[in-house]
Amino acid sequence: MSQPDHMDHAPKRDPHTGHMTTGHEWNGITELNTPVPKPVWFFLTIAFLFGVGYWILMPAWPLGHTYTKGLLGVDQRRTVEHKLQQAAAHAPEWMAKVAAADYATIQADPALMADVRQRGHTLFGDNCAVCHGLNATGNKGFPNLTDNDWLWGGDPDTVFETIRVGINSTHPDSRVSQMPAFGHDQMLPRADILTVIAYVRSLSGPVDKEDQAKVAAGKDLFAANCAACHGEDAKGQTAMGTPNLSDAIWLYGGDKETVFETVYNGRQGHMPSWEARLTALDRKVLTLYVLDLGRKGAPADSAAVKASEGTVP
Amino acid sequence: MVAQLTVFERQLALGLLIALALLGLTFGVVGAGDPVGVHGLLVVGIAVALAFAVIGGIGAPEPDAARLSRYYDDPSKAGIVLTMIWAVVGMFVGDWVAWLLAYPDMTFDAAWASFGRLRPVHTSGVIFGFGGNALIATSFHVLQRTARARLPDQLSPWFVLVGYNLFCVLAATGYLMGITQSKEYAEPEWYDDLLLVIVWVVYFSIYLRTLARRKEPHIYVANWYYMAFILVVALLHIVNNLAVPIGLDHAKSYSAFSGVQDAMTEWWYGHNAVAFFLTSGFLGMMYYYLPKKAGRPIFSYRMSIISFWGITFMYMWAGSHHLHYTALPQWVQTLGMTFSLMLLIPSWASAGNALLTLNGAWHKVRDDATLRFMMVAAIFYGLTTFEGSFLAIREVNSLSHFTDWTIGHVHAGALGWVAMITFGSLYTLTPWLWKRPQMYSPRLVEWHFWLALFGTIIYVFAMWNSGIIQGLMWRTYNESGTLAYSFVDSLVAMHPYYIARAIGGLFFLAGAGIGAYNVWMTIRPAAPATAQPAPDPAALDVPIAALPAPAVAGE
Amino acid sequence: MSIFSFHYRLERHALRFVIAIICVAAVGGMVEIAPLFTIGETVEAAPDMRLYTPLEVAGRNIYIREGCYACHSQMIRTLRDEVERYGPYSLAVESKYDHPMLWGSKRTGPDLARVGGKYSDEWHVAHLNNPRDVVSVSVMPAYRFLKRTALRTDDLGRHLATLRKVGVPYTDAMIEHATKDAIAQATPGTDDAGLQERYGGATQIRAFDGNTGEVTEMDALVAYLQILGHLTDAAAKEQAAWEKAGAAGAIPTAAGE
Ligand code: HEC
Ligand code: HEC
Ligand code: HEC
Ligand code: HEM
Ligand code: HEM
Ligand SMILES: [Ca+2]
Ligand SMILES: [Ca+2]
Ligand SMILES: [Cu+2]
Repeated sequence: MSQPDHMDHAPKRDPHTGHMTTGHEWNGITELNTPVPKPVWFFLTIAFLFGVGYWILMPAWPLGHTYTKGLLGVDQRRTVEHKLQQAAAHAPEWMAKVAAADYATIQADPALMADVRQRGHTLFGDNCAVCHGLNATGNKGFPNLTDNDWLWGGDPDTVFETIRVGINSTHPDSRVSQMPAFGHDQMLPRADILTVIAYVRSLSGPVDKEDQAKVAAGKDLFAANCAACHGEDAKGQTAMGTPNLSDAIWLYGGDKETVFETVYNGRQGHMPSWEARLTALDRKVLTLYVLDLGRKGAPADSAAVKASEGTVP
Repeated sequence: MVAQLTVFERQLALGLLIALALLGLTFGVVGAGDPVGVHGLLVVGIAVALAFAVIGGIGAPEPDAARLSRYYDDPSKAGIVLTMIWAVVGMFVGDWVAWLLAYPDMTFDAAWASFGRLRPVHTSGVIFGFGGNALIATSFHVLQRTARARLPDQLSPWFVLVGYNLFCVLAATGYLMGITQSKEYAEPEWYDDLLLVIVWVVYFSIYLRTLARRKEPHIYVANWYYMAFILVVALLHIVNNLAVPIGLDHAKSYSAFSGVQDAMTEWWYGHNAVAFFLTSGFLGMMYYYLPKKAGRPIFSYRMSIISFWGITFMYMWAGSHHLHYTALPQWVQTLGMTFSLMLLIPSWASAGNALLTLNGAWHKVRDDATLRFMMVAAIFYGLTTFEGSFLAIREVNSLSHFTDWTIGHVHAGALGWVAMITFGSLYTLTPWLWKRPQMYSPRLVEWHFWLALFGTIIYVFAMWNSGIIQGLMWRTYNESGTLAYSFVDSLVAMHPYYIARAIGGLFFLAGAGIGAYNVWMTIRPAAPATAQPAPDPAALDVPIAALPAPAVAGE
Repeated sequence: MSIFSFHYRLERHALRFVIAIICVAAVGGMVEIAPLFTIGETVEAAPDMRLYTPLEVAGRNIYIREGCYACHSQMIRTLRDEVERYGPYSLAVESKYDHPMLWGSKRTGPDLARVGGKYSDEWHVAHLNNPRDVVSVSVMPAYRFLKRTALRTDDLGRHLATLRKVGVPYTDAMIEHATKDAIAQATPGTDDAGLQERYGGATQIRAFDGNTGEVTEMDALVAYLQILGHLTDAAAKEQAAWEKAGAAGAIPTAAGE
């Protein structure tokens, strides 16, 4: 490393800038010995002083088993807790009103309902939409909440309760609904299942010739096996959460394969309980929001529709 | 190229390749039934192919001693080709994942083609494949010129280049098979990590051995940066990848750290991978090719010192700005934020040093797209570091973190700085190494420049928009005093920007493709007649022939 | 002597320069990382903290393998909107057994730190099978192959043993029964007494993919997703505590509650 400096040159003046070179050259590259511009020192000092000030005020330096807490005593956790407490303490008026008033009163109050819709939109989008669809119109196995066709009943208290405890959920009070697996559990032979579903499907629409022949026999099978839950008229019973089989609204699907699958393997929809995750107020807002969506002729939730259509809000 | 190695080096190379094949075979057999077995067999295939290449040239006569008075540039040449290949592959996958976020069904129901597996192929492909090969190729070139010494031997640079690319190939193919440690930018599994450690030790030894034989008393700035790059990446890589594998027959390992300590270690690594891989190394590149191409002295030697040590010291504190408001104790976040702010000064000092060096050469910037690449790179470097320091402020980060704003920042740096300085440097270096008067087509360089610039601008603006919209939507409260948008609302709002970004990316990719073609046409063996005489481009590339041959025998 | 003349001499010595770089670069990491092991309050106490079952470990590895972390964070920051949207802010202790942590750096999809129990197994299966079947605008990839791929369970004991090496307190019995426990957790009706005894009565035992026959990768991944946020109640307890402290009738309660 101690070779002679035979490549060192005497510093030269750069004609363009007027600064001297350092006198070194690397394969043609030289450097000017330009002093560090003043602003560099200036801003370096400012930045450092800012840092020192910040360290004094905020938690900053570790000291073995603890750290400097800072003069301001700031802690991000306390800060957010405080913010949330403040938000709760200064909760907008409508919240207290919605919490206290009964459903009918709120529903009759357009101003309150406007707030409910605003809050409901986000709550529904973040918690319910993945199952019930962005517009609450449902998905296969997840009911449409806007069609006024209720499994468990559509009065507000019932809906609120459904949201609170869930269906087949882990909540101790959960609603329980279980469609038996008639085929899988060998309660009905395959041929009988095909017969009964011909009848069931005939209730909500025309069936093909082959099935028409089975309808009468299916009716008897239905009375014997299904009516206990779905009712004599097959219109369902909200007490048990059994769907109406005589309308053309299907939870899982009304084509032959799907109905066969339903009766053969049974169904057991799961709806989580929201008691531990959402406050009572939020659940009440959701109840009102969901019922509002189902109002006859109600404008579909505009933001949700926009969202599903891909427009930037 | 094999003929350039000494007979002993050829034998050693063959020995190493056989050992590698055996090692691969061991993994292939022991790890049958696990993806690591596939990797074992892949290694066997590569080792055998290379062994045949070596065997093909093993009988050639000893290279003449005159080679010792010339620089050894074959590894750099191969490195340039590899750089361009990785550029196209890595950016192609980048654009692919960009389209996936707009049209998610383009996965052919294949596990390997899903976003989560392809994304690291992109990040590793561009950072390690493209960036790393560019750094290795240029560092060998710069090191020899600025030390005025030949590389110490002819095998170790190949060892580094081949070993490093093997690391990259194992990484990328591994992700496709689902082999990953999930630590961002350190995803490769334990055996690949170990391979990189070995490669890195050899890489560094080349540096030290060459410097030890240098004819220049002073070590040039470019080498400070290259050395910081090598050294600190080694430090980061080893600590962050500490892990216990399940066994030799298993690709999977469990990291030594967990939870909050693991998070801090990961972002100490991750942030400084940015600093020492994507910044330091490329500053080294810039410090050589920019003044060389501009024909100007570096604006200020003293400013180089300030910025070098400022960057080396302060960057290492800044990693915790990736963990603002998280379960990481706030005191660490404070340190990360304050050092990130201070860091702006040395960063701008380097950007300023580069731009001021161009004083007196602006006409060249105007006329020559190659130099313009480097100028724009310095500007984007300044922009990105400014943005970085801004994003490191807690309150700003509360908005930007987790959003596309980060992605915009990343690509302002990655496209605007890293890729542009690389393309500028390679367009400078390629004609020199292959002794051509210029690139095959300066017009195509011009095309590449504008495609890259517009691509970057579209990309970055799209992501700034989407990121800020996203961040705002997540925290906007409506008149009812509650959150105004659900997550899905924000997702829908991203769609147009994702398409715009993918189009910007396509521009950039097209530019890179043109660049690869241009490089290929410049270097292909049947060079056009125009490549003949011209003023010797290597005239400034002062050969060591003038000096007495290095004393160390056999090197 | 100015720093410049000092440097003028330093830059003539390669080794000294190398040592200088290492020393200067090492400081930041040492000051920021080492104290995280020594300052007690860094990781909160959580006596109820439970371990991932072998099936959940397998699911977590699938989550890693598929790169879910590229789009999903598992870190609820101390910001009002995040707490309101996702639940109590994340505590360090919640990822104490996460080797490596999966806090994430990008939210292309929502945070998953507390997604456990939020949705039903059926939903997860349908969603992973093809997200657009349930969320029409989703950009998440479809993972159809999970349901048709059998889970590798034979080596789970070795996974647990390795985790023990890096500090997760799995017992010998847990390691020994890992494979059996994984199968039992996804196959209700089999002998799961040992499983409950080892991992606690709250262990969820279900056919997560809706099919009792075979233990698939879908079983494992859903089992993992369903446990997220439920290894300890520490965060919820902490939230309840400060909410109570600050409440004083502030938070309105709905009628009927
Ligand atoms: C994991 C999926 C899932 C989520 C999330 C979900 N639900 Fe449900 N929900 C269901 C299923 C499934 C049913 C029907 C259960 C059955 O088959 O009986 C249901 C039923 C209901 C019903 C009863 C419908 C009726 O006809 O009686 C209401 C009301 C309801 N959900 C509201 C909500 C609200 C409000 C939310 C959000 C807080 C929500 N759901 C979230 C799956 C879900
Ligand atoms: C023990 C009560 C019970 C009996 C008996 C029963 N069901 Fe059901 N059924 C249900 C419940 C509960 C559901 C709703 C399941 C859900 O919501 O997931 C249901 C759902 C259905 C559905 C799906 C409706 C849709 O919209 O997709 C069909 C079809 C059906 N039952 C047909 C029958 C037939 C045919 C029989 C007799 C062979 C029968 N059920 C017997 C309880 C019963
Ligand atoms: C391309 C990005 C991407 C990848 C990769 C990805 N996701 Fe998602 N994920 C999303 C998006 C976007 C959503 C929101 C829309 C939806 O619900 O599908 C989402 C939603 C979810 C949800 C519902 C969260 C909630 O609270 O609504 C879960 C659970 C989930 N993903 C799990 C996973 C798992 C497990 C993987 C890996 C196997 C994965 N995701 C991979 C983008 C992704
Ligand atoms: C054709 C040009 C490119 C396109 C289209 C592209 C596209 C993308 C996309 C879509 C992502 C994922 C973003 C997300 O998860 O939301 C990404 C991530 C990333 N890309 Fe690129 N990219 C390109 C070039 C590059 C280059 C040249 C580099 C580096 C030299 C680079 C470095 C990265 C990094 C580091 C990330 C991860 C960012 C993070 O996790 O925050 N990209 N890129
Ligand atoms: C002064 C210099 C810089 C500072 C202070 C800085 C700061 C930051 C900050 C605050 C983030 C966001 C962290 C988060 O919220 O998750 C970030 C991300 C990132 N920056 Fe920079 N940045 C700087 C320069 C650069 C440069 C020059 C590049 C070159 C490419 C770069 C590449 C990245 C990458 C890849 C990420 C994404 C990391 C991830 O995966 O999340 N940064 N940077
Ligand atoms: Ca690794
Ligand atoms: Ca990231
Ligand atoms: Cu950073």
